Amino acid sequence: MKKFKTEAVRMKKVLSVLTLTIIAVSFVLVTGCHKKAATRPVETAPPAAKEQPGPVQQKAPEKITEQKVESVASKDMAPSAAEGKEGMFGDILFDYDKYDVRGSYKEELQSVAAWMMKNTSATISIEGHCDERGTNEYNLALGDRRAKSVKDFLISLGVPSSRMETISYGEEKPLCAEQSEDCWAKNRRAHFVMLMKAGK
Amino acid sequence: MQKAKSKIIFFIIVFFIFHSSFSTAAQAKIYIDITSPSSKKLPIAIYDLQGPLGKEISEIIREDLTFTGLFMYIDKASYIEGPAQAFNLQNWTPLGIEAVVKGSVSGERNLTVMINLYDTLGVRPILSKQYQTEKDLLRQLAHTIANDIYQTLTGTPGIFRTRIAFVAEDDGDKGISLMDWDGERVRKLGLKGKLVLPPHWTSDGSKIIYSSERGRQWGLYLLDFSRMTEKRVFVSKGTNMAGDFFPQGDKVIFSSSKEGTPDLFILSLKDLSLKKLTATYGIEVSPSVSPDGNSIAFVSDRGGSPQIYLMRSDGSDTRRVTFEGSYNTSPSWSPKGDRIVFSCRRGKNQICMVKPDGSELVQLTEQGNNEDPSFSPDGRYITFSSDRDRTKGIYIMRANGEGQKRVSPKGLRSAGPRWSPN
Repeated sequence: MKKFKTEAVRMKKVLSVLTLTIIAVSFVLVTGCHKKAATRPVETAPPAAKEQPGPVQQKAPEKITEQKVESVASKDMAPSAAEGKEGMFGDILFDYDKYDVRGSYKEELQSVAAWMMKNTSATISIEGHCDERGTNEYNLALGDRRAKSVKDFLISLGVPSSRMETISYGEEKPLCAEQSEDCWAKNRRAHFVMLMKAGK
Repeated sequence: MQKAKSKIIFFIIVFFIFHSSFSTAAQAKIYIDITSPSSKKLPIAIYDLQGPLGKEISEIIREDLTFTGLFMYIDKASYIEGPAQAFNLQNWTPLGIEAVVKGSVSGERNLTVMINLYDTLGVRPILSKQYQTEKDLLRQLAHTIANDIYQTLTGTPGIFRTRIAFVAEDDGDKGISLMDWDGERVRKLGLKGKLVLPPHWTSDGSKIIYSSERGRQWGLYLLDFSRMTEKRVFVSKGTNMAGDFFPQGDKVIFSSSKEGTPDLFILSLKDLSLKKLTATYGIEVSPSVSPDGNSIAFVSDRGGSPQIYLMRSDGSDTRRVTFEGSYNTSPSWSPKGDRIVFSCRRGKNQICMVKPDGSELVQLTEQGNNEDPSFSPDGRYITFSSDRDRTKGIYIMRANGEGQKRVSPKGLRSAGPRWSPN
């Protein structure tokens, strides 16, 4: 009796293993077939192995083409660019990778502010520049931030924000082209340009 | 009982063996597993195609395949078989060659090319194809053939017809130019400004966006290749720097200091509406959109030095990616989104690569200053700019740093390369 029972249990086990296997096999079969269909190479290899191209070709030849790239002239160029007058004020220099205004420039900026307060119709552009060691885009952002620091300083001295523009040129317009610390120091600058409307 | 059971099991085993052998026979063979870093180079023989211009075409195919680092070109001087002779296995197995390219060209202005690619396992070609084109498109023809050979042997598409858009000096101004990925056929697009920043492609390759300074103002400009027109999509006071497209091409992320300090904004190209993503006192610049559109890699100095950060594309969940070095900039995603390549300062600026979670940092370059890296569409190569040969030029390398070479013409000052997506 006991023996019969264990035999039955074993039989049951074997059966369930079998059904599982069959399910697994059919699953592999089905998915396997799908994969085959998907990865079958598109090219049909022609029967001829000999070096005689031509008549045995089944597919039409591929035509190689290319979309023509014509030149487009930039239309949106400078709107009447404001002319600038330079050299009224000296450059404000910055430390490497820094954009905070050094304390030593306080007097210089005070005289810029005083002039701006006296000449109430004047507007200035503050250009931010960098040395060449940084990467281009970050340098443009750094130059932008330098110009902004100077602008903020002048605002704190009473110059209206509306009379000051800022722009960054990053490392694109160096004053000095040598690769030396002296030269780099000169290039890390905020530069003042007096703006006058074109034609005036 | 026992007997019946073993019979069934035997049946299943037999069935399994039959099934598995059947399925391998029917599947396409992959000759080189390009996902395995240690796989050996496949020795390949490439004949000069017979007929006029055959030599030129074959030379381009050889250069394409060799640059991948996956093939070892066996010099034609060692071939036993004549170019016109039928392919014979015995001529190749002793040389250890595993693939052979033969073919012919006919025609003068209109070329017809027949290509046969053999493996050394059978006598039938594994690729046999005819091509037609004009003589002017010789390079495109050769690149297309190289793509087909590459696809047949590796199971993945080649990049030999892709292009690189970049910024080149143009009569004192800067302009956008295009060249083939191998540096040939440089053409100016006529798009100029006093200053121009690196272009960025839509994911379908139909447009590029770039920023340019014209008349003391930084604007964002969109070039549509299908119409060959340029359109300004954004301009303001301050510095505006594109930026990157989202995958659908309908939105652009860029950096603008219009509200004071450089922050990141998303511009809709449909209605030109703006959405501000960051607001810090410092610098936020060089945003790069992940291939799935869900994440933005960008540069911020909020930690005291420029570093790469990641955030979700809605501006939430910001975290820092790079911790090594004090100057990491210009991030760009791999096409799968599993790597970020960027410029890292190690004395000079080098190209580094890292996983988005900040692990597995590697430095890929050593010579000169190297900037503005971007991946090829298959993720296997990186283009970047370098001043290692004095004049700044465009270089390419394999994504592991091997095979570095300049591709832009000598003497042409150029920077900011971006590999086309197709």
